[in-house]
Amino acid sequence: MFQRHSFLWHYLWVAPDLLFGVLAIILWKKGWHKKLRGFFFYAGFQAIQCAVLFPLDHVEGISGRTYWRVYLASELLEAVVVFVLISDLFADVFGSYAALARVGKLLIRWAGGLLVIVATVVTAFAPIDRRFWTYGAVNVVQEAMYIIVSGLMLLLFASAAYFSLAWKRTTFGIALGLGITGCVHLATWGLGANGLFKGSTFLDMVDMATTHVVVLMWFYYLLVPARVVARTEGAPLDNNLAVWNRELERLLQQ
Amino acid sequence: MIIAILLVAAAALSLVAIVGIAIARSLQVSGAASPTGQIRLLDVEAFRNLADPAEEDYLRHRLPASEFRKVRKARLRALAGYVQTAGKNAAVLVRVGQNAVASSNTATADAARQLIEQALLLRRNAALVLLRIYVDRVWPNSDLAAAPILDRYNRLSGAAMLLGRLQNPAEAVRISVR
Repeated sequence: MFQRHSFLWHYLWVAPDLLFGVLAIILWKKGWHKKLRGFFFYAGFQAIQCAVLFPLDHVEGISGRTYWRVYLASELLEAVVVFVLISDLFADVFGSYAALARVGKLLIRWAGGLLVIVATVVTAFAPIDRRFWTYGAVNVVQEAMYIIVSGLMLLLFASAAYFSLAWKRTTFGIALGLGITGCVHLATWGLGANGLFKGSTFLDMVDMATTHVVVLMWFYYLLVPARVVARTEGAPLDNNLAVWNRELERLLQQ
Repeated sequence: MIIAILLVAAAALSLVAIVGIAIARSLQVSGAASPTGQIRLLDVEAFRNLADPAEEDYLRHRLPASEFRKVRKARLRALAGYVQTAGKNAAVLVRVGQNAVASSNTATADAARQLIEQALLLRRNAALVLLRIYVDRVWPNSDLAAAPILDRYNRLSGAAMLLGRLQNPAEAVRISVR
């Protein structure tokens, strides 16, 4: 059941990417592909990537070397798509506040730069089999990408929490899903790139199952409407009218 | 092997932090009560005295260097407490503003937007000033510039007051003692 090419393995590979395709089509039909541009490209890319890689893995005449070359090229493209999505998320969370628009840009620039340095240092230590370097390169590229992705998503959540920023439901769902996949994939590709669980399908299964759960979560956040919470004002605090009136007058004169 | 373990640990910690923040945010969204009860009143005059560079200059000239360093450390500790509280109050006021920003009353919605922007600026400045205070505690001879945060806090008081008045003309949100 947990073997490569078992039914579960096939299901976990194909189902999430099929769901990505369905989600991309729904976004297009609802006209949300402009509003959620980054996520639309991401979902569409995942579906197309599977449509290319799955047959390559199953067609008899295609060698492992060719498969991993195509996989590596698709990973480099995926990195671009993911970083466009993250940049959209930062812009969405910080962009609506004039006071923080510059902070958001500075955060992503400096933290991104720092994470690229960390990723470069970490991947420099990864062992690569030079006879079959494409497989090693795939591991290293994924490891580097998820160091940056999980770092940026952690920064996004921490800074939004620090400033008590309100999230749009869709942005929150997308960011949470990307944060969860980023962290789980960092752990699995980190182990894989450093030669642990070699030849085992365990890491693949964990990766694919996480993606499956997250895609379902994205369906929920994007397609199920939010509950409306009735807000009531709590008991107002006591007040020194003279001081506050002075403050108000000062505010009005500014 | 060590790098793999470090990466797994970093991934696990990040995952716990992200999910924890997400759960806290969901609880906040589903809670209907107003957050104004979490505001801690600040004594602006005491804060003003602690942040006054003239007062610090006076102490620097009157006290022996070792004594001044001790006094300054204690003043910085107290100032850090004030700035932390001001920053936390700003975070509460961001939430107060966000609850009111969808109001059908244009004046209330405008006041809420103004409050959010000012509170966010204060929160950002509070973080920068705290950083500065911690640096100053390591290098006690540098000059501290906490005055801008005081000015921002006063402006925030006005914005909170205005929003409170618009929402409930009889009462208003109060964030400082004087």
